[in-house]
Amino acid sequence: MSYKIPMGPYHPALEEPYKLDLICDGETVCDAKLHIGFNFRGIEHLAETRNYVQVIALMERVCGICSNIHTLTLCQAMEGLTGMTPPPRAQYIRVVVAELERLHSHVLWAGIAAKLMGFKTMFMTCFELREKVMDVLQAISGNRVNYSMNRVGGVNRDIDDPQAVLRMVEALEAEMLRTVIPIFTTSSTARSRCAGIGVLTLEKALSCGVVGPTARASGLPQDLRRAAPYAAYSELEFDVPVQQDGDVRARLLVRALEIMETCKILRQALTKLPPGELFAGDGKFDFTKLVTTTSTSRVEAPRGEVMYSVSWKENSRNPSRVHVRTPTFANMPAVRWMVMGARLADTPLIQASIDPCYSCTDR
Amino acid sequence: MTLLESIPEKLGITASMVDKGGVHWLEPGAMTVRELSAAMNAVKARFITITAYQLPKDEGFRLEYHWDLDGQLLGFPFVLAGKSIESIYDQCEAVDWIEREIHEGFGIDFTGREYEPLLLRQGDTPGVNLREEAK
Repeated sequence: MSYKIPMGPYHPALEEPYKLDLICDGETVCDAKLHIGFNFRGIEHLAETRNYVQVIALMERVCGICSNIHTLTLCQAMEGLTGMTPPPRAQYIRVVVAELERLHSHVLWAGIAAKLMGFKTMFMTCFELREKVMDVLQAISGNRVNYSMNRVGGVNRDIDDPQAVLRMVEALEAEMLRTVIPIFTTSSTARSRCAGIGVLTLEKALSCGVVGPTARASGLPQDLRRAAPYAAYSELEFDVPVQQDGDVRARLLVRALEIMETCKILRQALTKLPPGELFAGDGKFDFTKLVTTTSTSRVEAPRGEVMYSVSWKENSRNPSRVHVRTPTFANMPAVRWMVMGARLADTPLIQASIDPCYSCTDR
Repeated sequence: MTLLESIPEKLGITASMVDKGGVHWLEPGAMTVRELSAAMNAVKARFITITAYQLPKDEGFRLEYHWDLDGQLLGFPFVLAGKSIESIYDQCEAVDWIEREIHEGFGIDFTGREYEPLLLRQGDTPGVNLREEAK
């Protein structure tokens, strides 16, 4: 006899409020229904009531983890409206902040995954490391969550001493290599808890349109930093880790390897940081010259592709429409296929393996 | 000819592609959204999203369908005189949530599919979030 087990919207296994209705036969999950909307704030509507300065601050608050990515994508779309091109130094600073954000997001996820595996010591280690990444972000921006780095045409703040930031990044990299990476890639605990569970086949990954590490763990080598480079990514060398198994361990490995690639990108960006201005022209977004038009921008956030479509009416101070497509919005429907046939006890880890963010998803 | 350049020919569209605002736009002409979706599946394009706009006065809505083809973003605008369009959910599983979200945000019906609430809670009405008349 099958029965339904509701998980959420408030549940110890879930980091944010959402709901999984699990249809089970004994301890085996036969099907699942997902319910979101518990963090819905109407941000797309609110954006239409904010002017060209306020809307950047608003969109930074879509997500508390990848806040910088949202302003980066929005600013790139607004730059597309006006034809502004940020100067090279600003492009490199955008890369540095985006990669530091990826680093702290992946380490945060690693900590949560460790907790769900029952590996509490690892959880503490990851969160200690994440604090150090946030210290670097604070040293650059003065902030720990909403960095306010991006503006239309460039960035708000400089990196005054790239060598000091580089030393912090190298210390972090050494610590990751000593603790997080070996444990996640070689430990038998991680392998036994994650291998073979929550499988998303390549075929299903394609049909569900999943993005980011979730897609790359199912054998899809898609990464916008490589496929459609933005900021200064076209000038930097890095690999795109891809795994074929599609299970929780593959998603774990992809993120662990991405941490190392992120360190590689940071080292290059901080070393090559070109001199020059922080923003283009006088740094003003001249809405009076805009004709009614739409611009779109995509970036590779820690969880996958983010896309903004921004529409502006002639002579308006406010956008007429801001549409945000976030990675979890694309990835979460695939969780239904990942949990089918899984043990009930594995579902918290499986749903966490896509690194879901419901603040982004609900907006 | 690249795969991207061959898209108008593959779709049987005479209009040329316009590169604007970060998107390769192609007017679908007489092509239906279901025909477009089948063609995008055939070239193994990856569905990204649909962006909906309410047009001024009573001109209806514009839905912009986006697919990714080898890192290039394709855009196909469809103007709806009424407030319904065929669903492509049975052809492209990835549209499920965005069709539901647009249905709830703008009150647009995607015909040929069933809905379950996505963002709205019990008692809410579709169209309450983003329709002009509801603001």
